[in-house]
Amino acid sequence: MAEDISQEVTELIANVIGKNASELKPDTNFWNDLGIDSIKAIEITVAIERRFKVRIRDEQIPKISTVGEAAEVVKQALEKKPK
Amino acid sequence: MAVVPRVVITGVGPLSSIGIGKEKFWKNILDKKTNIKLEEFSIDDEIWDKYYLHKLEDFDINSFGIEKDKLDDIAEWKEGEKIRDLEYLIASIKLALDDSKIDYRKEDNKIGLVLAHENLGLMPFGLKVSNISYELLIGKKQSEMSKKVFFEKLYKSFIKSGYDVQSFANLFHVARVFNVHEYSLFINNACASGLYAIEVASEIIKNRQAEKVVVAASDFPDIYKYVWFRDLGIYSKDGILRPFSSDANGFVFGDGGAAIVMENIESARKRGAEIYAEYLGGGFDLEGWKITVPQIGGKSYQGAIKKAFDHSGTGKEEIDLLCPHGVGSKPIDYYEANAITDTFGKNLKRPFITTFKPYVGHNLGSSALLETVILLLALRNNTVPPTLNSNNTDPRNNISLVQEKIETKLKTVMKITGAFAGFNSAAIFRKTN
Repeated sequence: MAEDISQEVTELIANVIGKNASELKPDTNFWNDLGIDSIKAIEITVAIERRFKVRIRDEQIPKISTVGEAAEVVKQALEKKPK
Repeated sequence: MAVVPRVVITGVGPLSSIGIGKEKFWKNILDKKTNIKLEEFSIDDEIWDKYYLHKLEDFDINSFGIEKDKLDDIAEWKEGEKIRDLEYLIASIKLALDDSKIDYRKEDNKIGLVLAHENLGLMPFGLKVSNISYELLIGKKQSEMSKKVFFEKLYKSFIKSGYDVQSFANLFHVARVFNVHEYSLFINNACASGLYAIEVASEIIKNRQAEKVVVAASDFPDIYKYVWFRDLGIYSKDGILRPFSSDANGFVFGDGGAAIVMENIESARKRGAEIYAEYLGGGFDLEGWKITVPQIGGKSYQGAIKKAFDHSGTGKEEIDLLCPHGVGSKPIDYYEANAITDTFGKNLKRPFITTFKPYVGHNLGSSALLETVILLLALRNNTVPPTLNSNNTDPRNNISLVQEKIETKLKTVMKITGAFAGFNSAAIFRKTN
């Protein structure tokens, strides 16, 4: 389940930035490795929220700096969701 | 069926880092002047932080010709504490009323009032609570005091400032200075407050609740606001606000406020008032996604602009000049640019697009109103001031900003603002015959 989420988040990020998911690893850095800026970070947030029906807080957005961290934020948000 | 009155603007009162009153203010815009200072804020002798802002200097509330007894009443209520943004509201209203040549001194002056502000009085409140709490918690008295006594002392110490954070008291103070007895309201829609206030004022006049309504807004950009924006990572470190630019690095606050007089056109014509423009209508959409981040890819802002066209019966091709929010933060500017290009098309020569924050800074809750005043002065003078610091527009924004002053016949102008919390708004003004 957790692995599926990580994979899905990776594919979703790859899709937003126009790269192949196989190029992205959990420790791939948003800013240094992928050139993601504040605009792309928000686009990724929008895509994640739509796909997983979760809410990411405003102040979390600039703090997510790797693909793995993005997946972790999604997992935590899903755990908080009422079953 | 009763005829719905048309609503016009007959007075403006800008108060900013580059001038108090419309003459000096407009001249300095044409001369591309700014007044950016590095503000240092200290607690006792320890520097908390420094930040650049467009600073309003040489401001003295006693120099505006406002009745002294009215100002003394406020000073007495405030126990001698000067609330800078409250003084800005009062001063800008006096300027606007003088400009409109309305005599407000009569009690039966038929004036209504709409004020807009984000956090009036928050700073003195916060400082007082912090200082007193520090004294009481860390000071020597701690061991001598029960919790009940501590709470009682804390309550009594800050309660007056605490009450004043509530907006109604400030509405009362300002209304009393100008003998306002008609419909009055205090609103807060973040940076879009000015446009919401204009719309509300127009409705008040159209519903014949008042003949004239003064709309005023102000903001004193204090350390609390700076720290919030700094921690969000959207405050410029070099003090240069670059709207829609590839080099944009954040907001720079602007100190000041603005007021306008809105009036039933019949009343304005009857008294021979000079009319700046008719307010044709506005559009408002609450995106409601997040407080501090716009939903890139969303269509809320486009919706607000479309509603403004629909409500005013205006076509997009009629807009001669557009003034966006242009805050100098890349994602916010990109979001706004998308709304503009979705509406008007990409990289068009018309409407002219220019932004004013590089002149006066980001005046937060008052920014939309202050920039509307500049827009109205541009309309009256058939002159489009250029956007400063804009020679490197981010190609992703696909908009062309005015680079040099343009003198051209202007008839219909539009102000748009996409504010925190997603208060997206648009307002259209047109010269009357």
